[in-house]
Amino acid sequence: MIEVQNLTKTFNGKTVLKDISFEVKEGEIFGYLGPNGAGKTTTMRIILGLLNPTSGNAFVMGQNLGENEELRNKVGVLLEDDGVYDRLSAYENLDYYAQLYGLSDGVERKRRIEELLESVGLSDRRNDKVGRFSKGMRRKLALARAISHEPEVLFLDEPSSGLDPEAQIMVRELVLQLSAEMGVTIFLNSHDLDEVQRICTKIAILQSGEIKAHDTVKNLRDKTGRPRVEITLSDSKAAEKALNILNSLHFVSDCERDDSRIAAVIRDEKSSTILSVLMRNGIVVEEIKRVTKSLEDVYLDIVREGSKQNE
Amino acid sequence: MNKILVVAKKEMKGIIKTKSQMLVGLFFALWFSVMTAPVVKTVEESAVFVQFNNLLFYFVLMLGIFMAYLFSGRVFFNEKREGIIETLLCTPLSLRQIWSGKVVGVTIPAYLISLLTAALMTILGNIFSTSMLLPSPAIALHIFLVVPAFIAAAVGLLGFGHSLLGMRENQIINLLIFGALFGALAFTKNIMKGDFAVSWMAVGVLLIIAVLLLMLTVYLTRYLSRERIVTSIP
Repeated sequence: MIEVQNLTKTFNGKTVLKDISFEVKEGEIFGYLGPNGAGKTTTMRIILGLLNPTSGNAFVMGQNLGENEELRNKVGVLLEDDGVYDRLSAYENLDYYAQLYGLSDGVERKRRIEELLESVGLSDRRNDKVGRFSKGMRRKLALARAISHEPEVLFLDEPSSGLDPEAQIMVRELVLQLSAEMGVTIFLNSHDLDEVQRICTKIAILQSGEIKAHDTVKNLRDKTGRPRVEITLSDSKAAEKALNILNSLHFVSDCERDDSRIAAVIRDEKSSTILSVLMRNGIVVEEIKRVTKSLEDVYLDIVREGSKQNE
Repeated sequence: MNKILVVAKKEMKGIIKTKSQMLVGLFFALWFSVMTAPVVKTVEESAVFVQFNNLLFYFVLMLGIFMAYLFSGRVFFNEKREGIIETLLCTPLSLRQIWSGKVVGVTIPAYLISLLTAALMTILGNIFSTSMLLPSPAIALHIFLVVPAFIAAAVGLLGFGHSLLGMRENQIINLLIFGALFGALAFTKNIMKGDFAVSWMAVGVLLIIAVLLLMLTVYLTRYLSRERIVTSIP
């Protein structure tokens, strides 16, 4: 559905995207992650046809969006800026964009707008000027605008930015619903790792214009995340003693102590091996648990690794 | 509805809803009209008709261009400054459709204020004059053809500049245009002193200039690109 092939973009001699390639299949929710300035928005702008690549190609449904205006009828966009007009009401904003996207039948358009306002919880504010809306309400309206023409592909740039937790859940559910029920392909630019972890089927991590990882969340965790254990001991003295023992074990690394708690990375061995070693040394272990690496850990590992390489 | 008209309608609605700008327009329409009264009252009977048409000739045009300048800032400049233009560029409209819609949407209200000025000037002129005052055929052509063409060309050029340039360059250009408008107003007023009378020739020359400017504006839009607009958003 979305194909990016060897994309490179240079601005005034500075390369901001370096030969990146990835593919998003139909119906997938694709998370595009990376620190500020990594090139996420530039990638999105090139795919949307707002910027021309220096080299490489970006296709949506096999075509270049920059060269095909009709194709944009099948694409919904929620950019970093909400793209809504302060002087128009919520209804007028949706009505304007719906007309631009070719919803010419007035009755059908009205029905669709009412439905959208209802789905984002803005029905009772339909006639209020958007200038009076909170950031969260604007974001919800912008999301409604982005899906007003029932697009097949949806580009979302930080959709939950500025939203309260309840609204974030609403957005998440809406995105999942669009993907599951309508088969919409979603390209999600986000900093919110929790959100990405919950909804994305596949992710790519971008750093300094290069894709550092591209896979499913599960595969990335398995590939990059070595098994970790978290050990709780009776007191800090016992923890200190345990730390010395753990540091001497060849299959344990990256030990960190926080008061009576120790976190460590283990290789090959089971956590029960650690437990028996500690018990043999007379240390009372209150709790030992295996911790799965979160997407946040994976992301930070990749980004930090990338930073070291760049230095 | 044609998508150009959808954009134009939205822009007109936005302008009309911006009370401060509408009040400025109405204030100038009234002020320019009131300025007609002392002229037609004090000037000799034989020169009243000529003076009245001279006033119509430059006040209506100047106010139209001033309103075009004022409204263009809101429609092109603010939309870019607020980043809304980027979302608009993702819609299934060509750059030319967006630009044309905005030009039409600004030209119509600016021209309506010009027309209102012409109507008020005529009404007030007749109140204060002993003669019946109506625009001459050349002035009628000027009001109905030259003025809208000039307004459209001004909006088009301003829109082109706002779209193409960055915020700082736009602010500098805005100041220069503002100065140029007032300079032109003073210059025209000087030229029209004495025996000057608006002729078919003058109107014809202005019409040709307006058409050439419109053609230039349409030609210049070729140099607009989505990339240029997006990369100059602050």
